[in-house]
Formats: sequence, structure tokens, C-alpha cells
Amino acid sequence: MSGKKIHEDQKYIEGLLNNNSFIIQAIYDKFVPKVVNYIKQNSGDADKAQDIIQETIVTIYNQAKEQDLKLTCPFDAYFFLLCKRKWLNALKKNKNKEVTINEEVLSIDDDAQELAFETSLFGEKQALFNEMFQKMGTACKDLIKATFKIKSMEDVAKSLGVTYAYARKKKSLCIGQLTKLVQESPKFNQLNF
Amino acid sequence: MEDQDYILFDSYINNELSAEESLAFENRRDSDEAFAQSFRVFLDATIYLQNSIRNEAETNDFKKNLESISTNHFNKAKAVATKPQPSKVFRFAKLAMAASVVIFLGVFAFNQFSNPTYSDYNAHEPMTIVRGSVKDLIAATKAFNNKDYEKANVLLKNVLEKDPENSELQLYYAITNIELDNYKVADSQLNKIIAGESAYKDRALWYSALSRLKQKNIDATIVLLKQISEEADDYKEAQKLLDKLE
Repeated sequence: MSGKKIHEDQKYIEGLLNNNSFIIQAIYDKFVPKVVNYIKQNSGDADKAQDIIQETIVTIYNQAKEQDLKLTCPFDAYFFLLCKRKWLNALKKNKNKEVTINEEVLSIDDDAQELAFETSLFGEKQALFNEMFQKMGTACKDLIKATFKIKSMEDVAKSLGVTYAYARKKKSLCIGQLTKLVQESPKFNQLNF
Repeated sequence: MEDQDYILFDSYINNELSAEESLAFENRRDSDEAFAQSFRVFLDATIYLQNSIRNEAETNDFKKNLESISTNHFNKAKAVATKPQPSKVFRFAKLAMAASVVIFLGVFAFNQFSNPTYSDYNAHEPMTIVRGSVKDLIAATKAFNNKDYEKANVLLKNVLEKDPENSELQLYYAITNIELDNYKVADSQLNKIIAGESAYKDRALWYSALSRLKQKNIDATIVLLKQISEEADDYKEAQKLLDKLE
């Protein structure tokens, strides 16, 4: 069961998607200790590692949900690269602190690099959408939430006590507003839209 | 963008435009980069909202479960550091893992009994940008990794015209042709690589075999699989497929 790549480790992705506790536990037993070591050796501690790892797993889960994530490399390399990237970004944000990076010599294949890059980008985009969505007014937020929860636009209009035409138009404009907020963010240009 | 542009984006996404309006929309999108970029962001925003709101409850369940496993794991790690005695939870986790392995073996064995088809094997390794950062090549890589083989095919063809001897590009171009059922083009490209001396020789043999498998030419598939050398990355996979076919 070990060694051979492609497909086999897809079970971890499927397990996350199904909220399978055995699989999540297996990820912690098999792959997490290496990440914790890396973070500890690079200006971090166990608590920081715990957060970085949890955030990384949620990003993988979200990408799997949204984009049908297919793993074509070992989960180990992919997961390690993702956590490492997230940790280095966190360190960069905290500029006051002096940091030294102890690079391990790793032979990580290109597939893992590519996939980890895609997932990081996905996670950063999600974070930006989320941040900007929180900045929007309650009227827009409520309308958008209702729109995506309730299938029919007629029912949405009814539940908010407005006309169908108004709800329909307002929804487009609210997503437009979110679009604008995202485009105006200083992070926008780094995200490859 | 103006208000009416956002209304237009939304109508386009929801398929509410007439054929004529759609065409006008697509023409503008193809010629006006600012418009195209805003549309991409608008579309991504829509997908993001749809998923995060619709799956909110499920995602929260997942996060809770993750949080408890994570806390447990890190507490255990701390406990081990001070008192090296395996807890009951730890033993349970081990049992649970063993159980999950058994389940996987079961699923694996079950899969072995069905007839193999091309689609069992077409999880291609993602393309990585080979050399330089030519615009078409980046677009081709993206399209390929998004399984948009039609687009990748056109782009790779362009790139190959400028770099016809690049066997990695030839290989990916061939894969797109297998996906699109252009077997003639695919097989002749692959034959070129197989006849050459590049590092992609064995990979090309493997894909030649898969192409024959997709064409339901089992004899040819077997002949090709048998030529894959023992050092090849795909050797094990090839042997497994051979076992199922013979």
C-alpha cells in the first residue's frame, strides 16, 4: 500500500470530504509530526503548528468540495509543502521578529509543488472573498445568504418582503460589489485571477 | 464596471440571455480584458458564495470534528513528552486505523474484479511548466490540469510548432488527443517518442497502451504493456493492468 503514487492517496482527500474520523486521525498520526518538527525548527512552537495544520486541512477540504481536487502525488509531500508555505507566509507577516529558516533538503517532485501551489492560491482567494464579504453591508449579506440558501428567487423575495424584480437586481449588484471590493484589495494582483 | 455590467454577468451565468445577447457578451469578453477580468472575479465570487453558504452546516460539522481530533492529538503529544504511557484513546485510534486499512483493502480488492477501462487510468500527472514562461504554455498547463483537454490541445499544438522536438510537450499533446478520441494523432505522436531516446519513452509506451485500451484493442494493449521496462514509473501499474487483461 505504500510507495506507489497516483490515486492511492486520494483516499485522504475522499476521507476529508466525507468527514471520516479514521482518515483525519490517520493524517494526524502519519503526516502531522513532520510538519510540527519543521515549524518548531523554524521559529514556531506546537501551538502555532496546531493552527497552521488545522487551517491547511480546512483549505484542502474546501478545495475538494468546490473543485473536485484530484491528488496525483503522495499526500505527504503535498501536505507538507502546503503547511510549510502557510507557515512561511505567517512568518513574513510578523516582520518584527527575527527568523532563521532551516531548510531541509527535500526531494519533492514537481507534481506536489504544482498541486500545493494551486491549493495555496485557492486558499488565499477564499480568504480574500471571505474578508471582503464580511466588509459588506448587512442588507447585501442577508440577501446573498437567502439567495444561495433558498433555491427560488420568488421565495427569497417573499421572505425579505421585496418584489422579485428588486431581489433579482439587488443580488447581481451585491455580487458586483463583492467583485469590486476584491479587485480593489492590495492582495488582488498577487492572486492570478 | 457599471451596474448594468454586473446584471449582465449574472444573467450570463444563469443562462438568461438570448443567443444573440450571449454572443455579444462573449465577443466583448474576448476583446475587452478589463471586462473579462471582472467577469472572472464575479464568477469566482458566485462560486465561492454558493459553496460556502450552501455547505455551511456540513463545513461546520467538519471543522468541529477536526478541532476535536486535533486537540486530542496535540494534548497527547504533550502528555507523551512528560509521561510516556500510551493512553486508551491512543490504542483505540490504532485499532480504528487498522479497521480503516481493512476497509480500504476491501474496496481495493473489489475494484480488482471489474473489467479495466481507460477511465480507471486517466488521472494524469499534472503538467508542470516545462521551460521558460511562454504565455501559451502557461495557459496550456492550466487548461490541461483543469481537464479542459480541448483547449489544452489547441494551445499545445501552437507551442509545439515553436518547439517541435520537445518530447514532454509531445507527450502531453498526445494525452489530450487520447482524451479527445483523436487516436491517429495521439498514436503517431507517441510512436515518435517511443522511437526516440528521451526520458519519456516508457511513459509514452504506457499511454500508447492506454490509447489502445480506450479503443478496445486489447491485444495491442497487451503487446505495448509488455514492452514497458522494469525501471519505469508505470511498471507496477502496467503489470497490474496486464493481470486483469490476460
